[in-house]
Amino acid sequence: MTIATLALRNLLRRPMRTALLALGIGLAVATALALLALSSSIQRSSDDSARERGADLTVSQKGAADLFAGFVSASLGPRIAAIPGVAGVAGELVMFAPVNEEFQFLTSGMADESYFWPSMPLLEGRKPAPGERYVVLLGDTVAKAVKKGVGDEVSMYDHSLKIIGITGYKTAVNRGVVFLRLEDLQELAFRADQVTVFHIALTPGMAPDAVDQLKQKIEALGQLSVDPTDQLFANDRNVEVLNAVSLAISIIALTTAGLSVLNVLLMAVQERTRETGIMMAIGWSDGRIMTTIVLEGIMTGLAGCVVGVPLGLAACLFFNRLPVIGTYLSFRPSLGIVSPCVAAALLLSVLGSLYPAWRAVSLTPAEALRRA
Amino acid sequence: MTEANRRRLEPSAGICSAKGSLDQVNVPLIALRDVSRTFDDGSVVALRAIDLSVARGEFVSIVGRSGSGKSSLVHIMAGFDRPTSGQVVWQGRNVDDKRQWTTLRRESIGIVFQEFLLLPTLSALENVEIAMSGTGLTTAECRRRAADLLERVGLSARTSHLPFALSGGERQRVAIARSLANRPILLLADEPTGNLDSANAAAVLELLLALRSEAGMTLVLVTHDEAIAARADRIVRIGDGQVIAEPLGNEAAPR
Repeated sequence: MTIATLALRNLLRRPMRTALLALGIGLAVATALALLALSSSIQRSSDDSARERGADLTVSQKGAADLFAGFVSASLGPRIAAIPGVAGVAGELVMFAPVNEEFQFLTSGMADESYFWPSMPLLEGRKPAPGERYVVLLGDTVAKAVKKGVGDEVSMYDHSLKIIGITGYKTAVNRGVVFLRLEDLQELAFRADQVTVFHIALTPGMAPDAVDQLKQKIEALGQLSVDPTDQLFANDRNVEVLNAVSLAISIIALTTAGLSVLNVLLMAVQERTRETGIMMAIGWSDGRIMTTIVLEGIMTGLAGCVVGVPLGLAACLFFNRLPVIGTYLSFRPSLGIVSPCVAAALLLSVLGSLYPAWRAVSLTPAEALRRA
Repeated sequence: MTEANRRRLEPSAGICSAKGSLDQVNVPLIALRDVSRTFDDGSVVALRAIDLSVARGEFVSIVGRSGSGKSSLVHIMAGFDRPTSGQVVWQGRNVDDKRQWTTLRRESIGIVFQEFLLLPTLSALENVEIAMSGTGLTTAECRRRAADLLERVGLSARTSHLPFALSGGERQRVAIARSLANRPILLLADEPTGNLDSANAAAVLELLLALRSEAGMTLVLVTHDEAIAARADRIVRIGDGQVIAEPLGNEAAPR
């Protein structure tokens, strides 16, 4: 008979209550997991997206609150391309644009000379011919969402655009993008001569020092910020807000779970006051009695994690496949997200059990034994 | 309390010396010095200036009517409750700390309650084992000792039963086995036969006395049954929270 066995027996004597508590913790863990997976996936997805298209650095407007709010003159493209070490420049106007007045999709206008065009994979159709106007290529998830294919038309800003191809990108972000020529998007969105970012491909094998020098040369061209592609959203205000909201909701969910542990264990401890008195009477120390109750909290927390982690992973998978969510958001859980969720759930379970444990030993044995 | 009364309440030297060393002759196993216990800011008095010593190896009965303070006295002797005033002295040393009492109950004091007070989710074997948890014994040793004790109290065939599946007499036997798990030198029994029918009560009492004799334990037995009390070496009568009379030896006690 160990303390752990006793703690387990105590939990199992009220199986429904324990199961519901574990389920509550599990839902909190699943919520936290899905939200943190969402917030972390934005930066990772954008990084993956840029890598898939072959970008090493991204040039954006310095001091812009978020990526889409900044604009850079498209005329800087040739000047950037002339800097030694730059293997390719892809000016891109990026924004969320209305499609068929029903959807908002990430829309990319790419300059004709962008090095992204030649490497763009296609599932079907073709790429725009030089000078061809008002044609679009849809990411495959966009095509599914709008239920359109090659040869059909979609509307954007009250203009009809002919679908000439479906892209075959693999990353979630790129699969959800509408591509068209930069000239067309600039016209439709009233953004003449503007791009949001320049993507830069570096000459292979550049030393870090040479990359730093190159960044300084680009930044010297104007109010520009040059970041590695994986840092593209590092200072993005929208992403920071989303991360903060996700974290806040996760903390609220997990704290609620911790309070549930406190509430249920407090109830259980009060129900078992007389038994606590028996433990005291046979010489159990306050520490051992408290340890038993804290172990009950840990076991409940563990059970919650056993329920919550698979539930969270399943929710991520489900949301990714649900067009109404998966088209816009990517939920990518990882061990780096699961671990802190589990750790936080266990920590809050311990914290939630400390007060009931303290309450249990705060009575004298005589007081505890007198309770019915 | 007068000095004459105090002397009358001291244990007889013969009983003490029969089991104790020379030092222990003059040192009671447990002694209450001018102990009072009140509740509700003094409006309820449970014990009034109790002076009582129990020698090592002695069998003392505490008798009195319901509400006389018997259980309060045992609670003080077990450290379940702290006196409002006065001292509890264990083998010559004042005990006033919760940790000291916990250690005493784990190592030296066994307790049997009228209501058995077994843990309902544990089997008979586990209820005995749990008293040894944290004493440094291995799990196997605890299990072996618990099984031996249950065999001693005649419950070797009922070790895996939960308390609800045991009769009152069987539950009390489990409680007795539990109280002996850590080989105490003082056994406090608070109306151990109070919830049993006469046949079970007699059997449990005989068992308790037999085990006490074998181990040479000190026994303090709270009872309202004069016949049971009469089997003690000494009878302490409690009334209205006070020791009201205590004949020397048990020869003067009513039978």
